[in-house]
Amino acid sequence: MNQPKRLLLTGGGTAGHVNPALAIGRALAGADTRVLYVGVRGRAEADVVPREGISIRFVRASGYPGGRPSMALARFLGNLAVGVCQACVILLSFRPTVIVGTGGFASAPVMFAAALLRRLHLSRARIFVHEQNAEPGKLNQAVGRLADRVFVTFPETLRRFPGNGVVAGYPLRRRIAAVDREQARSRLDFTIPPGRQVVFAFGGSQGARTINRAVVDALRYLLPLRDRLFVVHGTGLFKGGEYDAAADTRTRLESVYTEAERRDIESFYVSRPFFYQIENVYSLADLVVARGGAGSLYEIASLGLPAIIVPKSNLPGDHQVMNARAMARCGGAVVVYEDVSLVDGQIVEQVDGRVLASAIAGLLADKDALAAMACGSRAFSQRDALGVIERCIWSSQPAGEAAGPGGAGAQAETPGVAALETLPSNHELLGLLERALSASGSSYRPEEVVPSDGDRAYFISRAASLLASASWERRNLGVKLIGLLTARDDIRLLLALLGDKRPAPLIKRMVGGDYVQVGFIRRNAITALGRIGESSPEIEAALLAAFDDPYYEVRAAAARVSARLSPFLNDRAAIVAGLRRLLSDRWLEVAGSAAQALGKVGSAYDALPALVGLKDARFWRLRAAALEGLLSLVDRGESGDPTALTAALNGFVLTSTDFKPEFEIKRLYGRLLKTISAREGGDR
Amino acid sequence: MIYLVGALIHSRVGALGLLRLSEYLSIRAIAAALTAIVLTLIVTPRIIWYLHRRGVVDQWRDTGVPSAFDKAGTPVMGGTVMIGCVVIGTLLWCNLASRYVLTVLAALLWFGAIGLVDDVAKWKTGSGNSGMTEAMKLVLQGIFAAGFVVLLASPYSPLPASQATTLYVPFVKFAIARSAMIYLPFVFVFVMLVGNAVNITDGMDGLAIVPSVFVVGVLGFFAYIMGNAIWAKYLFYPLLKDAGELIVFCAAFAGAGIGFLWYNAYPAQIFMGDAGSLAIGGCIATISVLLKQEALFLILGGLFVVEAATSQIQDKIGIKWLGRRLFYRAPFHHQMQHTGLAETKVVIRLWIISGMLALAALATVKLR
Repeated sequence: MNQPKRLLLTGGGTAGHVNPALAIGRALAGADTRVLYVGVRGRAEADVVPREGISIRFVRASGYPGGRPSMALARFLGNLAVGVCQACVILLSFRPTVIVGTGGFASAPVMFAAALLRRLHLSRARIFVHEQNAEPGKLNQAVGRLADRVFVTFPETLRRFPGNGVVAGYPLRRRIAAVDREQARSRLDFTIPPGRQVVFAFGGSQGARTINRAVVDALRYLLPLRDRLFVVHGTGLFKGGEYDAAADTRTRLESVYTEAERRDIESFYVSRPFFYQIENVYSLADLVVARGGAGSLYEIASLGLPAIIVPKSNLPGDHQVMNARAMARCGGAVVVYEDVSLVDGQIVEQVDGRVLASAIAGLLADKDALAAMACGSRAFSQRDALGVIERCIWSSQPAGEAAGPGGAGAQAETPGVAALETLPSNHELLGLLERALSASGSSYRPEEVVPSDGDRAYFISRAASLLASASWERRNLGVKLIGLLTARDDIRLLLALLGDKRPAPLIKRMVGGDYVQVGFIRRNAITALGRIGESSPEIEAALLAAFDDPYYEVRAAAARVSARLSPFLNDRAAIVAGLRRLLSDRWLEVAGSAAQALGKVGSAYDALPALVGLKDARFWRLRAAALEGLLSLVDRGESGDPTALTAALNGFVLTSTDFKPEFEIKRLYGRLLKTISAREGGDR
Repeated sequence: MIYLVGALIHSRVGALGLLRLSEYLSIRAIAAALTAIVLTLIVTPRIIWYLHRRGVVDQWRDTGVPSAFDKAGTPVMGGTVMIGCVVIGTLLWCNLASRYVLTVLAALLWFGAIGLVDDVAKWKTGSGNSGMTEAMKLVLQGIFAAGFVVLLASPYSPLPASQATTLYVPFVKFAIARSAMIYLPFVFVFVMLVGNAVNITDGMDGLAIVPSVFVVGVLGFFAYIMGNAIWAKYLFYPLLKDAGELIVFCAAFAGAGIGFLWYNAYPAQIFMGDAGSLAIGGCIATISVLLKQEALFLILGGLFVVEAATSQIQDKIGIKWLGRRLFYRAPFHHQMQHTGLAETKVVIRLWIISGMLALAALATVKLR
């Protein structure tokens, strides 16, 4: 115990992993402690760590691209192998007593190397991991199994680390602490007129396009409040690819507002790419608008600030949404989900400025609610994470005692956080809904699968955000989900997809492709319209257009949907004419569906003769569909003169190339089982 | 084995003239076929009952109650029985010194083993879809195909060196290509594609086995011609010494197939499973290559080619890439069923088509 302690920190890739590592490092470091940080060159840690006066060394690593075999996976494995070798050299020369990893791909090489050296008895370092999010990343999950202890932020995460997880909370940089308001005001490079309520909006250090655009759009609706309000906007440092956070925000301001409006806006709005002393802004803020990363949330909550959280959706494990919902459940935050909307016929992901503005204005107007939220926010963070971590790491006890995993000690550290559930991913949700649909058929209701209105709203917004994706598979998934969730508000998005006639790339068209919104998307969009079960002139127009779609499944789906929407479509001559045209379609499925649909929407004058005309059609399936159609007509009293109809049906060709054979023994067996279970039920 | 014993005894004791028959290919072929038929007829029912008692059958759908209309609950080990009977028939009646026979036996066992592992995995997980991954199957098949290509080019090749890397096409008397750089990769791809084609076709009772028997029968005929100096010279085929032994193997195969059909005919009591379909595919691929009839396979196995092509085009190009179906349904037999044909009708029509293709392939013997 007398020899100097040597502490090795690792974690990074983004600032969200570096900050907790530094916080833990600073808490643990004493006079006799040597600290070394290991990260990846060129990432957040390379910039931040030296500024903190901690020496840093670099290893190779890259993000996990997913388990599918690909070049990216090969590159990842290659980088990891090189990184592990580099990390072994570092570990053998530094000989740490404690290793703390905070996740992100930068920590993987060190953690694997440490576990390897320990297995070879070349190192006796104890290994600790901190997981910030409710849903751990893939690498942290793998590394967590090798660690002595895994500190988690949320109690729910414990189940991912059975045996060695400890609830600790989020280690905040100690320097984020309340600053006196007057002092803070004097340190800013802009002035906030006295008596204003301050809203601080930012999307993390890199910025978030959704938040930046929403804030700019919201200003219009906040203009009337300009005497009472001041908006401080951190646009973020992100520059690269097609997006430059600060420049994009500036151009949007210039394009959305006139010069006169901009002058008004300047009286209550200021934007900066980044606040190096963010605590000053926090101290002045009455309300914060932020992303749902664990770091942002805990910073906000530790200062007891009420927040509007706009979580990024469709992230692994939906961790931002989970974080945001946990804070909302404590009463500290309001969650505003990203949505998609139509801009020039294109679907883009955004938060409506009006929605954000009304959330801001509503909260600021109600001082009591704001105070209650501040309490809730504080409750969310009431946890001395660094204390727990410090005690756990320096305690000489071997693993499994003092703060036993999931034991009373660990649980006692977690007041005020309500239980977090896990949400099904989009694919899982689709599976659940499809199973419910096939089980309950026409009585299907999405409410039975997703009873909570809030969850359903989130699922719908998450599905809608898929529609803005560049990959057709994801757009298609979104379309299916919207239909199965019967999202009425998204009908306009479905119609936009159906109306989007941009051609597919030439190479795809040469082998049978047609539009960018591929056949499956159009088919599923039509089916979704039917499932939602509403009609309007626009939907009718979309159906009529779909009758002429180049892809046969779309035409067939359109026919089926017109049958489904028949209560709204009676005596629509155009629909009936379209369906009659489809009766001679080259594809049997289309003609058959049209025949069935005619029975639902047609009348004795138009549909009946057309269906009787199919009596000697070549395929029996089409003849059978005509019979079904006629049956519906007769049921609806659209049969005209019965004797004439019977006469017309004379000579209907009834030969068939198929029939339904039956395994008699299986039927009897099934009947026996059913009878037994019915008896059982009756006896009780 | 009987060939060796017969030859041995005959050479020592001239009196036992009857055993001389065992030297004739035609007699041994018929004997191998009969052996395989009788063996399958005897063994299969016992296996069916054994599998039923052990519960090694296709699973019911998740409801737990058997539907009166579907075939869940049928055992799938038919292919393994078939392989066993082919191997026994071959061991009994073939001259095992023939490298042709040994190569094809290797293909049968290797592909059969891949299929068997897959069948067992499917049974263990209790679902029809989560057997071995497709990539894993392809890798294992690729190992065989690569080994086969190396064998062809090596001094141990069953084929004479002058023919090892030549490519013949139907209706042309001479080899159209003699480059190993072209031919060997082509053989690799051919074995991979044909090896899986039967597996895709195997979707209805009796659908895969009858066309397979036709194909194997025609290939056996080619083996007889090309292994016979007189016929080969008369018909301008390269003489492949020892290739004649393949007719015995083909006969055993056809016999086992017919024995299997006895039980597999609609409604099936047993399925061949991946073990059977992959083994058949691997065999007919290697036999075609060894007899220089790769290109003829387009006609001879046209049904398998169409089934595999429609299924792959539909799935890989249509559904995965374009986001639409290109055919109404795929593979081809599903397309037929969905236009309103009963399963039995589809199967028998495809038998007729494959029989016609086999006859057309036979005609190329003269039309060159």
